[in-house]
Amino acid sequence: MQPQLKSKVRCADREVGEVSRVIMDPLSHEVSHLVVSMNGTGERQIPMVAVQTVADDLVQLWSSSSEVLGLPPFKRDDYVTVHEVEIPGLERHIHVTPGEVLVPFPELERNVKRRTFFAKLTYVMGLFIGLPLVFPVLKFMMKPMYAPMDNRWLKIGNIGKVKFNDTGTQFQYKRTVKEAYMPEAEVEKNAWLIKASPAVLEKVYQGKDMEFREAGKTIWTNKRDVPYLAFSGKCPHLGCAYKWRKHKVLGQVFLCPCHLSIYDASGQVLDGPAPRPLDLLPIQVSANGEVQIIDMEFKAGTKSQTRIV
Amino acid sequence: MSDTPSIGTQTTVAEKVFDFVDERVGLKLLTAKMLNESVPGGSRWAYVFGSLLLFIFIMQSVTGVLLMFYYVPTADHAYASTQYILHDVDYGWFLLSYHFWGSSAMVVCVFAHMSQVFLWGAYKKPRELIWVVGLALFALVMAFGFTGYLLPWDLRAYWATTVGVEIIDKVPVLGDFLARFLKGGAVPGQMTLSRFFVIHVMVLPAVLIGLAGLHLFLFRCAGPAGPFRGTPTELKAKTDYFFPRQIWKDAVGMAVVFGCVSALAFWEPVVLLDEATPDPGDYHPEPEWYFLFIFQHLRLKMFSGEFGQFLASIALPGALAIFLLLLPFFDRNPERNIFRRPFALIGWVVLTASILLFTVSAIINRSFLD
Repeated sequence: MQPQLKSKVRCADREVGEVSRVIMDPLSHEVSHLVVSMNGTGERQIPMVAVQTVADDLVQLWSSSSEVLGLPPFKRDDYVTVHEVEIPGLERHIHVTPGEVLVPFPELERNVKRRTFFAKLTYVMGLFIGLPLVFPVLKFMMKPMYAPMDNRWLKIGNIGKVKFNDTGTQFQYKRTVKEAYMPEAEVEKNAWLIKASPAVLEKVYQGKDMEFREAGKTIWTNKRDVPYLAFSGKCPHLGCAYKWRKHKVLGQVFLCPCHLSIYDASGQVLDGPAPRPLDLLPIQVSANGEVQIIDMEFKAGTKSQTRIV
Repeated sequence: MSDTPSIGTQTTVAEKVFDFVDERVGLKLLTAKMLNESVPGGSRWAYVFGSLLLFIFIMQSVTGVLLMFYYVPTADHAYASTQYILHDVDYGWFLLSYHFWGSSAMVVCVFAHMSQVFLWGAYKKPRELIWVVGLALFALVMAFGFTGYLLPWDLRAYWATTVGVEIIDKVPVLGDFLARFLKGGAVPGQMTLSRFFVIHVMVLPAVLIGLAGLHLFLFRCAGPAGPFRGTPTELKAKTDYFFPRQIWKDAVGMAVVFGCVSALAFWEPVVLLDEATPDPGDYHPEPEWYFLFIFQHLRLKMFSGEFGQFLASIALPGALAIFLLLLPFFDRNPERNIFRRPFALIGWVVLTASILLFTVSAIINRSFLD
């Protein structure tokens, strides 16, 4: 039982006054001292160890009244009230109220039935407002996410630029993009072309023509005997742009500077973290050497090819 | 007022205004509650990082709002408007560079703050929820970095985003949707810029303010943990209030951060690369330094192939995040002294060392690429 304010305080020999304040320990959250108002002779601070018993309205001390009177007077300035300081959880431990503090309960609230029903009704109202918004908001956000594929042929240059067999040559080209409300813009892109030797060609096609299909329909077929290969400029590891570089050990290779994936002239992975070979694009080379490709892009980082553009 | 020597019984206008407000909202009590928070064992320099983060966030908000007076989030004007801020607007170079280096300061202080809490064992009961909300705030800071990076629309911005979103694509089941959702399409473009912009300047700040408020509220509910050594009597003897000693230390810390970030902004101002394009020329893509360690470990042979990539970019970071999230719930040992928690100490050292190692090796690797 915690001591109460206004409780009488009795020493071994006689009653000396009443509890006027209570001092808490901020760490243990326990009452550490009582302050006793000594019937007109000031206040004394008494540690809880000096308390023998605590009853409803009486605090019994071990010491005699003369010992208590001999204590130094209580110094208020050494303390702050619990309202002026932040000590987490302190309020939960204080039970030294002089009694209940009450306010009247409003007439209209006294006999309200179905409080739980009304509480739950607010959730229902919330759902009633929120749920119909989910689908429109989702569709609103998803508007540009799934655009149809673009199978236009793009002219990217003349094959005369490719001088040597099995050597990567970069073709830069511009692609017009019309995005939502934006004015039509040109983005710069690039593809790597290889004039493949029969050995490299065999490695790429393994005796079979390569079909590009969309929704079950064949868009284009790269013939196995056409020696020109076009690789998408996007590294199949994580989508950076790779280069044709000289490697100390592996010779001339495609090298991606991001995560150091290395591919040979046929696009096969020689080293590094790439999960699949470079992505071949549909290519046409006309009689006068004009190169056209379909500008496809594939998802990076996957073992199988997934076209996204 | 009793302790201020006033002339006669006259009160000044300022005092009258103060009393007016105090009468209505209890200002004195509120201020007292805010400042008179017991710090068990006394104030310490090690406790400054939380306050520093709040300070950095405020500075990022101020500089960010200022930048928006000129910045235009469109694919055809983002780069030009950023260059305009850098080269034409008075002190634009400083504000943009301050904002740029401020993000680095944020990451450094988040790491320091989390390390302090971890090493002091301050995440343990009854402070589990503070830790959990703190982790969410950490994720927000990284998201701020990732989304802010795209906005200048230069090559660095474009490629860091391209690779970053490809990594998000590797999340199981939802990856493709998330990546398209962020990009607003299959490839980065205007939709991506719009989305990153609104996430950076509206969504993340709103969430961060809410969660930071919750973080502080939970902190005030549980109170500061104090040092991990010392008996209750010793701690009580050294206990002081948040004001003035801890606030003084926090204020010095803020001045130091402000000085460092300003110095970096002054001597290493932001220089943009060429405008973003899907054809980077000779540019070698690389993320901001605080993402370098992830970038570098994706280069490892052991993380090659589709599965390796999933392991390195989603599974391992995800497992670490879940581990940290659950840490206060399975680490029930009340011992807070880091020198009596060998696994915690070793774990922290190993993680910190490997982040440093991968970051440094990514920097060294640069010179082999040209």
